[in-house]
Amino acid sequence: MPAPSPNRSRRREEADRSACHPPLVRLLTSAAAAFWLIYATLAFSTFASAAPAASPIALDQALRPFLADHCVRCHGPEKQKGEVRLDTLDPSSDSAQNRELLTLVRDQMRDGLMPPKKEKQPDSALALRIVSALTQALPKPQTAEQFASDQLPNKGNLVPHDLLFGQPGGYVTPPAARLWRLNSDSYLGLVSTVSRARTEGLVKPFTLIPERGLKDYAALYSMDEPTTEILLRNAAAIVERQTAHELKDGKPSGKQDTVREFVALMNPATLPTPAQIAAVVKQQFTLAIGRVPGPDELARYQSLYEKIAREGDSPAAVKTVLQAVLLRADAIFRSELGGQPDERGRALLTPAELAAALSLALGNKRLEPFTTAAARGELATKEQIAARLQTVLAHPDQRLDTSRLLGFFQQYFEYHRAPDIFKEARFPFAEQANEWALRRGSWPKGDESKHGSIHHPANLVADTDRLVQRILDEDKDVLRQLLTTDFTFVNLRLKEDKKTRQKNVPVPASEVNDRGIIGPHYVYGFSQWPAEQPVKAPADQPRLGILMQPAWLTAHSTNFENDPVRRGRWIRERLLGQTVPDLPIGVVAQVPDEPHRSFRDRLGVTREAKCWKCHQWMDDLGLPFEQFNHYGVYQKAELVVDADATARNVDKKGQPISKVFTTLPLDTTGEIAHTGDPKLDGPVKDPYELVRRLAASERVRQVFVRHAFRYFMGRNESLADARTLQEADRAYVTSGGSFKALVISLLTSDSFLYRTSPIPSTAQTSSTPIKK
Amino acid sequence: MNASPLQFHPHLTRRDALKGLTLGAGATLLSPFLAGLAAHAAGSPGAIRRRIVIVMQSNGLRPSFITPSGHKWKDDGKGGTSTREVLEVALHDQQLPAALEPLTPFKDRLALIQGLSGRIALSDHSANHGALGCYSANKVLGQTIDSALADALPAVFPHVLLGLDGGSEVMNYAHSALGPNKPLPTITSPDLAFRSLFGSVDGGSSKAQFNRQTHLLDFMADDVKRARTALAPAERPKLDRYVEAFESLHQRQEQIAAMQEVIRKNAPQLGEKRDTTIASLILEAQFEIGTAALIAGLTNVVTLTSGSGGQRFGKYPELGAQDLHGLGHGGSIAGKTNEESFIVIHQLHTRLIAGMARKLAAIPEGNGTMLDHTTILFLSDSGDAHHPQLRNWPMVLLGNLGGRLKTAGRYLEFPGYGHRNHRTIGSLYAALLHAAGKPRAKFGLDDIALKDVKQGAPLAELLA
Repeated sequence: MPAPSPNRSRRREEADRSACHPPLVRLLTSAAAAFWLIYATLAFSTFASAAPAASPIALDQALRPFLADHCVRCHGPEKQKGEVRLDTLDPSSDSAQNRELLTLVRDQMRDGLMPPKKEKQPDSALALRIVSALTQALPKPQTAEQFASDQLPNKGNLVPHDLLFGQPGGYVTPPAARLWRLNSDSYLGLVSTVSRARTEGLVKPFTLIPERGLKDYAALYSMDEPTTEILLRNAAAIVERQTAHELKDGKPSGKQDTVREFVALMNPATLPTPAQIAAVVKQQFTLAIGRVPGPDELARYQSLYEKIAREGDSPAAVKTVLQAVLLRADAIFRSELGGQPDERGRALLTPAELAAALSLALGNKRLEPFTTAAARGELATKEQIAARLQTVLAHPDQRLDTSRLLGFFQQYFEYHRAPDIFKEARFPFAEQANEWALRRGSWPKGDESKHGSIHHPANLVADTDRLVQRILDEDKDVLRQLLTTDFTFVNLRLKEDKKTRQKNVPVPASEVNDRGIIGPHYVYGFSQWPAEQPVKAPADQPRLGILMQPAWLTAHSTNFENDPVRRGRWIRERLLGQTVPDLPIGVVAQVPDEPHRSFRDRLGVTREAKCWKCHQWMDDLGLPFEQFNHYGVYQKAELVVDADATARNVDKKGQPISKVFTTLPLDTTGEIAHTGDPKLDGPVKDPYELVRRLAASERVRQVFVRHAFRYFMGRNESLADARTLQEADRAYVTSGGSFKALVISLLTSDSFLYRTSPIPSTAQTSSTPIKK
Repeated sequence: MNASPLQFHPHLTRRDALKGLTLGAGATLLSPFLAGLAAHAAGSPGAIRRRIVIVMQSNGLRPSFITPSGHKWKDDGKGGTSTREVLEVALHDQQLPAALEPLTPFKDRLALIQGLSGRIALSDHSANHGALGCYSANKVLGQTIDSALADALPAVFPHVLLGLDGGSEVMNYAHSALGPNKPLPTITSPDLAFRSLFGSVDGGSSKAQFNRQTHLLDFMADDVKRARTALAPAERPKLDRYVEAFESLHQRQEQIAAMQEVIRKNAPQLGEKRDTTIASLILEAQFEIGTAALIAGLTNVVTLTSGSGGQRFGKYPELGAQDLHGLGHGGSIAGKTNEESFIVIHQLHTRLIAGMARKLAAIPEGNGTMLDHTTILFLSDSGDAHHPQLRNWPMVLLGNLGGRLKTAGRYLEFPGYGHRNHRTIGSLYAALLHAAGKPRAKFGLDDIALKDVKQGAPLAELLA
């Protein structure tokens, strides 16, 4: 059987976080245990599900002997390792401390951290039942925040990989009906649909979680009062724009970008008829929500108008009604409730919901091909939906916003964070380091080109964006290309061609003026800016893939140094699909400040037993990238401070003059370990070997598919999604590594198109889609 | 009387409270009733209002910058103090250090606090929410002290958060939190701030517009409630919060309507500062708005911040400080030393604090002035330095909160990190909560490296 995949998470956080976690114990040696696991997991994986949980064994009866057998020797009266004592645990007690302990026991067992490997291991079926029982005994999350913390994107890896891909996926239980709040980009998309892209004066109401990686998950966002205030103000501003007018001969005449029908009702002297009110409400609905209101809804807006108009200002009343439509929950939150459920309780998203969901999967506004198809009833089957997606994706059209495709790679690789890492803007070539120090970082006039380069993180990001886009456009073997392409863009300057009005035309070399300073292209190893791009990195300074792009390297570095730990963690989580525990509270993670030693050497402090427990998952994956310095420049040796020479470098008064640098031999070895995959595990001699091995791996490809799933679904995968993931992987493979094929497979999956409907759809208001 | 029962469980939505999860027997649960309680507590003539202001500056506040002239504090080699017993120096015959010089007129109301650690919040630069939360940096693990104090001192606007952003955003979520994973927004545009607080008297806003807004808020609360019914229970909290937002805005409309006179009287005249892009003027405007909100009685708790956490320190080109990160690495304003450059920025903040104190001292209240019932806490979200060590997190308190704190002109130096009598910032925060009338046995998370130190219990030396 496949070796277990170690998914790990150590959380010593408040006890009131999380209870509805699927029991995820990795050792499954019996079919019964597997059945139990899947059943119990399905019971927990959809909050709205009414499926009864498997009846737990009496917790007390099972837990006490288990603890006595496996735990109390180290966590009992004689020893309390990790300051945990379990012999006095009372599973029936309600105290906070007790619950905290139970949560701890459950987490440690679920993630296979306890008992330690060298101790006697419990029967896996029993362990599974105990984890399941503990999960049920623990208090349920009280608030949306408690749900949300378990649904963070970085927790997605907790679902064991082998259970998702190791056996044929079965029936896909769709997720519960849900709402998904717009983010700032899709909110601006909404605004531009409603008021023709004029956004000055509007305030961005939403922010995304600050955590690394994928950010826009449905479970994580709702609303608060200050945000609502901003939406109110924005709504007022938008409606002002829609109704801006002058009075000419007593009749309102619209200005640029106004809505004619709205302006017509701005005449203070004429009272609109109910039919006219209904018409403008319908139109605002169409713009903001993509459907027409039902009769009950219309009646309420009529009554709001009348209530306000009674106070004497009809145009103001009309504007208020129009604002109210923009503030609707289904304008600010995407609804994914589904239509009529079938006999299994699965409801296909309604046409209007589909049009929004498909559009907002690819970009930030509702797209005409989908809204039209919805209006014509042509989004009723998977084949129709797939066909429509094919059309949109096959013919990139500047009018159709598909920016979220690139957005996935930005959030996945995170290279777009490079500008967040402050670095000194100018830095010397390695050979000039001593002179640089002597001159305190200033270049001699007239000779700048020999001395150093400039760090332009925004340009680096643009280069990598362009590289990703190119790979996406070619759409062949996408993941392998992303990891191992030897092409790069180099400080590519683009402009709009004034004659042809074509955007993004490369600036010719003759117009590139580097003012004599070797510009940012030095980072890539070029002494001259290469006019023909994309270009292969110089043979003596090779680079492969996104992980050796300066943007990625600097995004995963600190102000003055490389960050092998962060890089290793990225690889462990995003390519190997495993989980690394968070930094324990109270631990100060600092590498000793000894600039005369190599960074690898200084990082050696993590080899201490209590650190290595976690660092073994990270360091050896990140250390091969010592091939580059922290600006992303290829190096053959590592620049360090020569402690002795620096100490001797003093003036007549004994005052230090400057640091003296020297080089140490470079060590770029590393290792892939603990994946359980014999094709992956093993030492690597440099980052090139590392990325090639990763690119060739089926596991890595599947982990990539999992992340794409998360991004497009806006949630973590569960066991119920296994078949969706497998089909998406198959689609990717059979299409020769087409990302678009992968996306189409995901967007036509049951996981995307269906919701489990707890309430009959008569609670739905009208779902008649409208042609935009 | 105690106001809203919601204080007991700030993590729950008002809707949950209305379901009776927190109230004891006998209380009715109607929104207007709660509003009445809050308004009563806020404005009742017999009740003394207390107010707290937290001013948090980016880029660190060095221990030497809060040490009075005649005293030298000794570093234990790692940034902590070297004292073994609590050391106290009276300020009346001392000169304040340069960074605090603008506070000289209020010297007899100051407590300068040296030696409290906050290692739990250690990060490479800002502690972000950990600074006011006394927990790990880079996470939002719980309610921050300013929000907890706002629960203790309710008003029409429970908590006003204003600041100067580290970038150019109008809002950030960098410093304060209502609870785990619930960061609070800080408004960093004076224009937006003014309109949020004083919009009802802005530009001749008529009664009719006010009424329209009231109708709209009412309609929306109802509209969103209907949308709620189609959802699974797990999704309802999302819309609950949206409903609640409209409801509390609606409720606030009515409270503001009843306060038009005093709001109009106290609305700040910002002039150009309302739309300025000059950093120090933005900060000045925010202080003016915050002060006016306190004086008008719109709020009792204001958080004023500069920078937006992380490495977003902000910059003051008009003062010659282009790059605060550079300052942190030994750079300087032209013609000044590094230390002098830091003092310039600190003085900007303490000058504004002094201005606020002056205005509060001019308003009679009870047996004294508004300042007599106020406490201003000044600190940095980056502790003791640009790259903090946090074995000593220097803090400055101005004002004794109506006699509940002992801040009558003293410099206190607490025993060093790891010493038996050492204390953490959690203790200071617990003391503030105690003084504000909502004591907790403990505030914040423990620093596990401090064994044998009783952490989080309120600082007895500060409590009257």
